[in-house]
Amino acid sequence: METIADFEIKYSQFLDPQGKPSKDMPALAKDTDELLDMYRQMTETRIFDAKAINLQRTGKLGTYASCLGHEATHVGLALAMQESDVLAPSYREYGAMFARGVTMAEILLYWGGDERGSDFAGPRNDFPFCVPIATQCLHAAGAAMSFQHRGEKRCAVSINGDGGTSEGAFYEAMNIAGARSLPVVFMIVNNKWAISVPIEMQTATETLAQKAVAAGIPGIQVDGNDIVAVRHWVGKALERGRRGEGPTLIEAVTYRLSDHTTADDSSRYRKKDEVEVAWKVEPLIRMRSYLTDLGIWDDDKEQALLESSAAKVDEAVQTYLNTPKAPVESMFDYMYEELPEFLEEQRDHAMKYGDTNGGDHG
Amino acid sequence: MAEVSLIDALTMAMSWELEHDPDVVILGEDVGVNGGVFRATAGLQNKFGEDRVMDTPLAEGMIAGVSIGMAAQGMRPIAEIQFMGFIYPTVDQIINHAGRIRNRTRGRLTCPMVLRAPYGGGIHAPEHHSESTEAIFSHMPGVRVVIPSSPARAYGLLLAAIRDPDPVVFLEPKRIYRLHKQNVEDNGKALPLDVCYILREGTDVTVVTWGAMTFETIKAVDQLAKKGISCEVIDLATISPIDYETILESVEKTGRLVIAHEAARSCGVGAEIAAIVAEKGMYDLKGPIRRVTGYDVIMPLFRREMDYMPSVMKVADVIQESMQDG
Amino acid sequence: MTTFNLPDLGEGLPEAEIVTWHIKEGDTIKTDQPMVSVETAKAVVEVPSPHSGIVAKLYAQEGDIVATGAALIDFSDGAAAAAAPPPAQSDEPEAQQDDDAATVVGNVPTGGGLIEETAIVGGGRRRKQTRVKATPSVRTEAKRLGIDLKDVQPTGRNGQITSSDLAKFAGSAKSTARPPASREGMAPGRTDSLRGPRRAMAQSMSRTRDEVAACTIFDDADINEWINKRDFTARMLRAMVAGSTAAPGLNGFFDAERLSHQIESRVDIAMAVDTEDGLIVPVIRNVEEKSLDEIRAAVADIKQATISRTVSPQDMVNYTITLSNFGMLAGRYATPLMVPPTIAILGSGKLQHDVVAVMGGIEVHRRIPLSLTFDHRCVTGGDACRFLAAVIKDLEKPE
Repeated sequence: METIADFEIKYSQFLDPQGKPSKDMPALAKDTDELLDMYRQMTETRIFDAKAINLQRTGKLGTYASCLGHEATHVGLALAMQESDVLAPSYREYGAMFARGVTMAEILLYWGGDERGSDFAGPRNDFPFCVPIATQCLHAAGAAMSFQHRGEKRCAVSINGDGGTSEGAFYEAMNIAGARSLPVVFMIVNNKWAISVPIEMQTATETLAQKAVAAGIPGIQVDGNDIVAVRHWVGKALERGRRGEGPTLIEAVTYRLSDHTTADDSSRYRKKDEVEVAWKVEPLIRMRSYLTDLGIWDDDKEQALLESSAAKVDEAVQTYLNTPKAPVESMFDYMYEELPEFLEEQRDHAMKYGDTNGGDHG
Repeated sequence: MAEVSLIDALTMAMSWELEHDPDVVILGEDVGVNGGVFRATAGLQNKFGEDRVMDTPLAEGMIAGVSIGMAAQGMRPIAEIQFMGFIYPTVDQIINHAGRIRNRTRGRLTCPMVLRAPYGGGIHAPEHHSESTEAIFSHMPGVRVVIPSSPARAYGLLLAAIRDPDPVVFLEPKRIYRLHKQNVEDNGKALPLDVCYILREGTDVTVVTWGAMTFETIKAVDQLAKKGISCEVIDLATISPIDYETILESVEKTGRLVIAHEAARSCGVGAEIAAIVAEKGMYDLKGPIRRVTGYDVIMPLFRREMDYMPSVMKVADVIQESMQDG
Repeated sequence: MTTFNLPDLGEGLPEAEIVTWHIKEGDTIKTDQPMVSVETAKAVVEVPSPHSGIVAKLYAQEGDIVATGAALIDFSDGAAAAAAPPPAQSDEPEAQQDDDAATVVGNVPTGGGLIEETAIVGGGRRRKQTRVKATPSVRTEAKRLGIDLKDVQPTGRNGQITSSDLAKFAGSAKSTARPPASREGMAPGRTDSLRGPRRAMAQSMSRTRDEVAACTIFDDADINEWINKRDFTARMLRAMVAGSTAAPGLNGFFDAERLSHQIESRVDIAMAVDTEDGLIVPVIRNVEEKSLDEIRAAVADIKQATISRTVSPQDMVNYTITLSNFGMLAGRYATPLMVPPTIAILGSGKLQHDVVAVMGGIEVHRRIPLSLTFDHRCVTGGDACRFLAAVIKDLEKPE
């Protein structure tokens, strides 16, 4: 038999786990303002994340999905995007969403059980969190179709995890994106765990990037803990999309340092030493080392950043905690553009029982 | 004015909107070059181009999902699912996203899409091609379900569905796609959603029906008229949300209610109508509310499909039975 | 002879052109053997033989155009009709395959004709709330009892007639609707339980005594000027309408439990009539709408019905006020008793020839003594007097 098709998957890393730069660092890595800003954003995200977990543990927040360890992937991909691009996240990518103008308070409202958390004041066209796994990939493809239809130089970016690459919607999205050359970037955040199912059990493929081959689109793998690599390659993919050259799949390899959500206990299914090893290569350490090596960072600056991040997070927490519940009739707001008549009676019923959570529950 | 079939009326409506609204696009399997397996989109790709009328890869979930993505970014996609039997992969997207997105973003994002599909039996099709499962969608808040029963209503209701700012599942009763013709003016006038259409006025029995069953019902009613039974026939048209007031007003007049639908009996839309009229119209009723429906069985293959679907005789018998009350 | 017609070559194409016959008349051919090439609007199609047999006749030449469904070729005897694909036959005879009935599966029926109907758009019109409201169970029971629901007083919260409303109505009907029992002669020294109308009367009057705050006003109407000197009952009835107009509060019902006073615009007057078979109380309905002639006619009907014993239960229920011409034999004034929930009863005593004072002297005038009992729980003395004054004024008219 003769070989009629072949594939290769390339891998990229610019900043190694110790923060040592490679020889071919892209230009953005030489922009110290950018570097400092990226480090700040990652730090703020991590402080926020820790605080959110504490809020949940103290009964002030519902179930929460931590982003610990993913900061480089999330912040990096968002910083590569333009404001007019559209993001379709899953439910963990706070660093990306903050970078695009979603507020910390909005994220807390969402996990605090309030729809207003998805009414982003900032990025009005971004999709909200998406819980049904990988269904957002199709939304991103659809958004890209609308840009293509209108001749706009905008791109859509969807984010899903390793588990999501097993879903039909993921394949269907890549497939149509390839078939129609859509301006979309599919970010796979491979954090090695889909709740308790490790990547080895998820699929037979060596890389997740090569799933792009099935759709006939380019796929690359990057070190997800290297914000420079993430930002660079997402940028390149977006440029491709804007030039009309079609979609790209980028697999960012990282590790989920936290539980899947606050309702999960990962010690049940993974070993402590695996997690410890992962901590050694996490994204903030290497950036801190790099900045220190460049002579633009020190312990004082670190301390100051931690404090300012904490202050910012605390302010957001206050805003969240001080946001009163929406009135009971808000359940009926935004049911269709105009509330149908038959719902008016139901709304009256709900309002009659008022703000008592409907009364006693068994 | 032209004499057109129901399917032609749909084509006319889509053509009108493609012409007048640049945000409208059509997508689905075989909708472009082939014009749709039922020719619902015949000629449209020629007229409006491949960018407006798109042949997609074979993935129903994808068709619904990208439609939602487009709609959320301000377009008005009309997605075709080839048969209702293949609509189920879209249910994830329709229920989890289309119906929800306005509410969960507090109106920041909306979903003005239409999902069209031929449904119902009676064309001797292979299995899976004949079912009526409108109740799945009608149960879901945030989604409208609309079923036309004539060329004129197909034209007007589809225009309304396309223009509606919220998602509409538009189910087309395929056995009346070409059965009748009607004069329909291609004037871009939409018919209102969320209201019933009274096909016959009467005083003895209210009969609520929709889709292709309107024809069995009218035949039964015309037969019974010869026996002096005067029926008011109401075409539900919008299956969700239901226009209760028209039905209740009619029941107030007649005191008797019969509901006829092709779909299976249990938890069908007829059950909801019966519950509402029992709740709000009980003091007008002379007797029990009756339903004539498909059976709670897997829809048989076509040699027996006519025994599954309610016939003219079955409808007439139930109406006559109701005349014993009061 | 078996004729094979040009089949629908797909997508409802209406005709095809014969390009090449691969066989000729007289040939023996086998099923599926290449038979003819035809060209449709879309493509050249090979049509295989549907049968095995001898080619008897070809209906068209190369170059001819054949319509779909038209005869194409005849096979002579010995040709077993091959199992044709199951005809996609609709059970409805009027539906036929017609034009482009495009579908990728099955058969979409066509040929159903032109629809003329125009539908009326519903639109959530407000309900009129004019019909009688009652559950089906109440309706059935009413039917069984022979009661017209329009006569029954609804007390349900949604304006519906409840089952107890019906029972109450039927009960009050029953108590006077029992087939007239003969006047029971009670033998002295014997103890008999009351039955029939007497029993009902005992119960009803006990209730009145227990519940009602009865108060009676007495007065006289001077009917000396009457032209028709014999028109008592009809004139009394009309006068009661006048009284009800002046003081509507006496025409209606009082609900002691709810302390509610229901004034009626209809004046349905129960007339207590003493018969051989006991007291019956037929009702003349809507007296307020009747002319004097009509009232007379209604009274005559009642008299007739009473004689012929055809007064039905429905005729004796659901009245708003009562008239008692008690003074047939003797009795000038009385304290007649109404049956709750009605509020008033007007009694007329024996016709009198009274000496009355007139300007400048004394005369003898015919007068009717009147006794108006009213339920003081819901009607004031003032109202009662207004009622009585209006009655008297109407009665004193010459006609």
